[in-house]
Amino acid sequence: MAVNESLRVIKTVRYDALHYSVFLQAGRIGEKAQPGHFAMIQTGEGSRPFLRRAFSIADVNSVSGVPCIEFVVKVVGLGTRLLGQFSEGAQVPVLGPLGVPFPLKDLSRHDRVALVAGGIGLAPLLFLAHRLSEKHIQADLFYGGRNEVDILKRPEFERLLGAPRCRYATDDGSLGRKGRVTDLLEKSIESGVVYRRVYACGPVPMFKTLSALLDAARLEGIFALESEMACGFGVCLGCVAPTIDGRFATVCSEGPCLPHTVIDWEKM
Amino acid sequence: MSVDLAVKLGSLKLRNPIATASGTFGYGLEFASFVNLKSLGAISVKGLSLRPCLGNPPPRICETDAGMLNAIGLQNVGVEAFLSEKLPELHRLGATVIANVWGDTEEDYEAVITRLGDDPRLAAIELNVSCPNVVKGGMVFGNDPQALALLVKRVRACTRLPLIVKLSPNAGDVVATAAAAVEAGADILSMINTIVGLSIDLEKREPKIGFTTGGLSGPAIRPIALRMVWEVRRALPGVPIFGMGGIETVENVLEFLIAGADAIQVGTANFRDPTVSGRLVRDLEKWCDRNGVEKVTELTATLKTRPRPEHRYA
Repeated sequence: MAVNESLRVIKTVRYDALHYSVFLQAGRIGEKAQPGHFAMIQTGEGSRPFLRRAFSIADVNSVSGVPCIEFVVKVVGLGTRLLGQFSEGAQVPVLGPLGVPFPLKDLSRHDRVALVAGGIGLAPLLFLAHRLSEKHIQADLFYGGRNEVDILKRPEFERLLGAPRCRYATDDGSLGRKGRVTDLLEKSIESGVVYRRVYACGPVPMFKTLSALLDAARLEGIFALESEMACGFGVCLGCVAPTIDGRFATVCSEGPCLPHTVIDWEKM
Repeated sequence: MSVDLAVKLGSLKLRNPIATASGTFGYGLEFASFVNLKSLGAISVKGLSLRPCLGNPPPRICETDAGMLNAIGLQNVGVEAFLSEKLPELHRLGATVIANVWGDTEEDYEAVITRLGDDPRLAAIELNVSCPNVVKGGMVFGNDPQALALLVKRVRACTRLPLIVKLSPNAGDVVATAAAAVEAGADILSMINTIVGLSIDLEKREPKIGFTTGGLSGPAIRPIALRMVWEVRRALPGVPIFGMGGIETVENVLEFLIAGADAIQVGTANFRDPTVSGRLVRDLEKWCDRNGVEKVTELTATLKTRPRPEHRYA
């Protein structure tokens, strides 16, 4: 059950001109949050911006002993800019945790999974990496971006999963392999690695390529989708994605984490 | 001092004048953890059709200045699923339920309302003749006084429940459609539905909404809604009105009551803050208490206007 509460800004960490992490006091939302959940955050005052913004929960951790929820954010517009400008101690209205999280409970120590991140899609996968690491489940990270600057939280991922298990791809070759992140996964599958499940979050073109790859390799994929939302809890029906059985699924309440086979990628 | 918040819209009695607007409150149950549904004046559920409706392909919404555009396309579970899966629980929770109804044709409207019949778990039926986001039905009826009158006459015969007609702000003359609806048998008017708008993605040079146009809601439309409520109240003083359009605060509620609404519906604000409707009930009671208003009905249609000057030439 989602909670509507006001959370205190504990700190903001800037990575570069476009990316930052904001840590909010965990509250009841933090107690309930699981990897794949998101929250709707009111980033401004009055009507600017008018709607709350949906953010993946990137981790539940602690800052100087204070339990926190971390959001990793890329500035793409007014809401994402304003969220990074709150001063420490500011109170921010947050609704969460929302949506269907990543399935996790059925995994055991004998399983190996893959995490595929595109750009700011790292956020829910970071939280997932923490939980997988705690459960001693082997996970390979495949993380792509336009350039080195897009690749965030490298030390944290490498500490959690082991550096050799973290592979990167960039459009300009400034970090890792030059090319698409899905090519990295494809090579790994071709080399004979068997993944129990592939967790992914990123832009729609990445999802489309990945979906075809998983179908060909007969692998299970769980994708954390992104969509513009007004409410975040299944009421406005604004965030829908077309499904393979010809209906529209609400990304906020049927998702955001959905089997890749549910979505009609040709219509996305 | 205890404040009397009860209002009567014809035979529809509400415990207070704060209701929630169709399309912004789901089937009510989605809000049960944020609001005590029993504390609200009424809940108008998502528009019901004879069969389940899938709605429009995305993108369906976009944010605008002080509002949003939507073209959901009336996605809903259909009247059967509403009666079997939603209404029993709403009734158990003590909610005052208004069934919002739409169709492509007059026969569709009749069929849904006949199916709902005079269900004692319903407080009223609200006719959606003003949705701008479907090709057939919807606003096609609401913008033409003659077509509207024919439809209202036909559905009036299908139920004894209070009949609310939700008016379109997109008609040329809202007073003409209001009068036509009342003449044909509407007991109550609700106004306004969304205003047709357009928003453009500059990079793609495409509309931001898949349906091209969408319905504008939120504070951006509040002054227009208020003006229309005031006009209709003046023209048809005896007809009860649900006012709506961008209501977010108790001050907004008071404006609508003073302009001529007997009750109001909170709409898009439910998306921004799912607890807002319950808070408005408490805030209205506090405001009345602080301002010596014993009965909220003392406020209704009390706008004092000055005579407008004739043109003057220097």
